[in-house]
Amino acid sequence: MYYRLNAVTQRLTGAPATVYNPQGLRPGVPSVRPPPVFVSPTKLASEAGSQVEYLGANRVPDLQKVFQRSDGVPVHLKRGLIDKLLYRTTMGLTVGGALYCLVALYIAAQPRNK
Amino acid sequence: MAHQAHAYHMVDPSPWPLTGAIAALLMTSGLAVWFHFHSTTLMILGTILLLLTMFQWWRDVVREGTFQGHHTPPVQKGLRYGMILFITSEVFFFLGFFWAFYHSSLAPTPELGGCWPPTGITTLDPFEVPLLNTAVLLASGVTVTWAHHSIMEGERKQAIQSLALTIALGFYFTFLQAMEYYEAPFTIADGVYGSTFFVATGFHGLHVIIGSMFLAVCLLRQIHFHFTSEHHFGFEAAAWYWHFVDVVWLFLYISIYWWGS
Repeated sequence: MYYRLNAVTQRLTGAPATVYNPQGLRPGVPSVRPPPVFVSPTKLASEAGSQVEYLGANRVPDLQKVFQRSDGVPVHLKRGLIDKLLYRTTMGLTVGGALYCLVALYIAAQPRNK
Repeated sequence: MAHQAHAYHMVDPSPWPLTGAIAALLMTSGLAVWFHFHSTTLMILGTILLLLTMFQWWRDVVREGTFQGHHTPPVQKGLRYGMILFITSEVFFFLGFFWAFYHSSLAPTPELGGCWPPTGITTLDPFEVPLLNTAVLLASGVTVTWAHHSIMEGERKQAIQSLALTIALGFYFTFLQAMEYYEAPFTIADGVYGSTFFVATGFHGLHVIIGSMFLAVCLLRQIHFHFTSEHHFGFEAAAWYWHFVDVVWLFLYISIYWWGS
């Protein structure tokens, strides 16, 4: 018996019209019945013969919760530590680079001795 | 928490315009320092800063649209106008190089032998690799349209496969063009023929690489469920840019490769 979780209704649906059919193997070939497996397909249970979880599950709703927290943090720092580290590195290079540039331009503007 | 009473997007304060401007300063002065003092440090620093800015700025746009819901219909309309205006500016950029090509090739000077192609230039056969390149880009235009329809119809697997195929075709074009550049019997220093050929096709190749990167980001976003069947403007912008790149190639092929040979 193969049970599927309908991600939209959050309900288990059992015994669909076609048996569990990974990799597009031909159904109806006699095989050992697997024990009940609880998996989360990305497609609805109504779509017969589909693969489960093509390239990962949908994490967008979780990320939407994270980014919509009303904590006053601007969007470029909203993810916490990793954002802060990347921002500080970029700003460090910006300020340091600008100073280095001014020094380089000052040196370049000096007349060359023959 | 105060909620806005309008559909527009008042962005959070952001440091990326400043870092981007400084990156531009560093890249340009770095170029001058490289020319005069043989040091590439400043230029490389500027390029790194530019890459960091682009990554974080566009990452924030994705966060604002996909995760925070700021891209309402009026906001999306503004983004569409923006992309259209940007592509229009790129059209004018290429128009300049086509002007240069036609200026030199319609009235070839005596120094060139009074003919086009100039004396001594062995042109590339337009019916060999350049024709294959044309087919590759036209096919990629078909696959990107297939990807669009797959997204609109909610066909996740097909969208991922057709988008991946589009990117693969883009890389194949770049590879073929790189081979042509290596094998070409003339260089950029070979008079005005070499200049117009390599500057026009070179900038086009750069735009193919940029377009491929844009599509690759869209592929990652599609895999991560960012696009819905109604709302996927990032992908549409990438597809518009890709079609623009394709059309520029067709003009290049007809003008420089075919008529100019």
